[in-house]
Amino acid sequence: MARSSMFWRIERRLLTANYGRLFVILLALGAGAAVTSALLNLQMDAKKRLTTEFRALGANVIVTPRQTANKDAAGVTLDENVLPQLPAQYEGKPVPAVGFLYVIGEVAKAGQFHFEPAVIAGTEGNGLTQVRPGKRSEYLANLENEPDACEIGSKAAEQFKVHAGDALQLRNQENNASCKVFAVVSTGSAEDAQIFTKLETAQKLADLDGRLSLIQLSVTATPDSVRSFILELGQKLPDVSVAGIKQFAEAESRIYNRISGLLSATVLLVLLLTSLCVMAGMSNVAVERKNDVGLMKAIGGSVLRVVRLFLTEAILLGFGGGLIGSAVGMGVSIWLGKAVFGVAAQPRWIVYPLSVSLTVIVSILSAFPLRRLASVRPASVFRGEE
Amino acid sequence: MFLRLVADSFTRRPRRKILSMAALAMGMAVATAALSVSLDVGDRLAREFRSLGANLLVTPQADSLPLEIGGVDYRPANAGTYLPEADLGKLKTIFWRFNVIGFAPILQSPGQILMGDPANPDPLRHHNVEIIGTWTNHTVPIPDGSTYVTGIEKTNPWWTVDGRWFQEGASECVVGRALADHQGLHVGDKVFLGAEDPLKKVQAFVPYKITGVLSTGAAEEDAVLVSLADAQKLTRLPQVYRRLYVSALTKPEDAFARKDPKSMTPEEFDKWYCTPYISSIALQISEELKGTDVRVIRRVAEGEGNVLSRVRTLLWLVTLAALLAAALAVGASAAASVIERRTEIGLMKALGANSGLVGVLLAAEQLLLAFVGGGLGYAVGILLARVLGQRIFGFTPEPKLFVLLIILGLAAAITLLGSAFPLRQAARYDPAPILRGE
Repeated sequence: MARSSMFWRIERRLLTANYGRLFVILLALGAGAAVTSALLNLQMDAKKRLTTEFRALGANVIVTPRQTANKDAAGVTLDENVLPQLPAQYEGKPVPAVGFLYVIGEVAKAGQFHFEPAVIAGTEGNGLTQVRPGKRSEYLANLENEPDACEIGSKAAEQFKVHAGDALQLRNQENNASCKVFAVVSTGSAEDAQIFTKLETAQKLADLDGRLSLIQLSVTATPDSVRSFILELGQKLPDVSVAGIKQFAEAESRIYNRISGLLSATVLLVLLLTSLCVMAGMSNVAVERKNDVGLMKAIGGSVLRVVRLFLTEAILLGFGGGLIGSAVGMGVSIWLGKAVFGVAAQPRWIVYPLSVSLTVIVSILSAFPLRRLASVRPASVFRGEE
Repeated sequence: MFLRLVADSFTRRPRRKILSMAALAMGMAVATAALSVSLDVGDRLAREFRSLGANLLVTPQADSLPLEIGGVDYRPANAGTYLPEADLGKLKTIFWRFNVIGFAPILQSPGQILMGDPANPDPLRHHNVEIIGTWTNHTVPIPDGSTYVTGIEKTNPWWTVDGRWFQEGASECVVGRALADHQGLHVGDKVFLGAEDPLKKVQAFVPYKITGVLSTGAAEEDAVLVSLADAQKLTRLPQVYRRLYVSALTKPEDAFARKDPKSMTPEEFDKWYCTPYISSIALQISEELKGTDVRVIRRVAEGEGNVLSRVRTLLWLVTLAALLAAALAVGASAAASVIERRTEIGLMKALGANSGLVGVLLAAEQLLLAFVGGGLGYAVGILLARVLGQRIFGFTPEPKLFVLLIILGLAAAITLLGSAFPLRQAARYDPAPILRGE
């Protein structure tokens, strides 16, 4: 008991004898710990967030009828009952899914007699704006939920000289319908020349009750998870074909892998070098302990006890620096997440113990030069020889 | 004497100086590697994003409404207007010509394909297909006298061909994967192609050889692709195209880019025009190609903009964090080395040196350390950045001189700052108690 209380008394003295040095050591260790925890947390969070950012690309999965030998515009269709069978969520994130039925019909502004052919797309489902990203230049929210609401592509709007609020006449062979424009959308591609109506309107025009041309989904997940989503859905719905949209799925996975590789590598590099840097700085301090060791040995301390003393000191310092630094780092990463993604990064608590233990390890490794102290000869130390 | 003192402190206790230097070099290596990668990675990632394909679509301005579903235009061949192929070289004369990294014109028409055994041409099957004419590996003359090679593989990089692309002028074609599968077509087969006229009749069939099978994941898998010149011959529409895909490197749009160019002051407009925003490149293209409607393919442009700007900020933050950690650790090490030298400082003062001289002496030592350690760290950092760049992007970041300058300046500033605080305390030391060992 007495021995152990002596041990801790020496320990306390070692730590508090020189406040300047204590501060310097804690600063170095704490800085390392803060960067470790901030970067680890940010890296985990950023990869998750990137999958959300990528959804600006719109749909990445498409469900089509089995046979793709479409001979004309209407082509082969699939049953609209597939739509409610799609999962509403995947990995905790909602999956917007919209069914489309394309009809090449004829369109004219209400009150005019000159009809022109145009693609009419009946849509049903939630999240049309996520699946088909674009910019709505005119938008009348109060009309959107009317049963005869429709949205018109910007190019078609120019052609038919219509604006939000105007009515359109639609026809296909003997079938007639009308709709009221609630928005003008611009996507830069084929959708600019299309007219988006409620699904029933298009089905009535095409005489295809209960049918769809295709379903588009926007799955928020890493490329690997999207792949397994496609496999799972394909097994669940054997009558239709489920596939990734090659253009977006492939590029997305390629870019995602590059970015996440870059992040991991940069973070790993920074962590490695930071710990080396902290270690070198700490070792500098450790070497200075020669005099203390000489004295301890001179009054009969065994090498083992001396080493134990210094190791305990290193662990305590690592623990202290780690606890404070990692906490600061977590706070910083939450703030950084807000700065980069506009949403505060979620603290992942696994990071905290991880970065504290990393700091303790670095701190013990920094005491490595003390190994040489075993060979310190007290006499030569007191004589002031190097 | 001054120099001898400085030199002495290095040669007498080399181990400790080496440790200080190692700390500095490591810190500066982090800073160099992070800086080099961050500086180069923006451009690299922007290029990587071009694998999403074209971000601009050019169509005739006074056109009938395209009847396009899933990439196939169902308009009859004579409906609508066309654009002259001869103008395409002008794309490489716009202000941001070097940012245009690929473009491909498309001329498309409904048609028919005749298949069967060429030796026994009697039971020929026929099937309705879309015939798409475009460029692959095509050499375009530029008005300034040079040439430029581009094609659909640049604007639609996700298209993959089993076999090879057709060659221009060799009566070769590429068939879509779905068409090949359900019609039993293979590379090397002979087929006949003909475009439909407005009455849905094919006037003449031309023999073609299949050189590849195309996978695109979209409606092109049901089509046949031939060179633009062949498509022009089949449809009897010489020297024209209908759609043009352009892939351009752009700067992500910020608040300024979203302003309406018409409401800008002349200075703002100049700045906007001379920045490679997608909208300003679109304007420049429509100025060169008369009578066109240039549209930004929003999902591509916005997806790219969102992700790029996030990743750039993220990397800069990582760099900043690395710099900060390096600075703190190096500063701590510098401070430690001054604290440990109290006896020496006491002795010097006892011998009559004033605080200023002691400060200058120690500062000179630290500066020497900073330059040697910083230089070493720079070299290590450049090596690391190369490994990193090579592994992730397959490129090596160029060593930049100004990074070296930043690193050396940083090293000097950190060590001086780190030692400034203990030095100030040292200046107040009374030599007597220190020398007594108190």
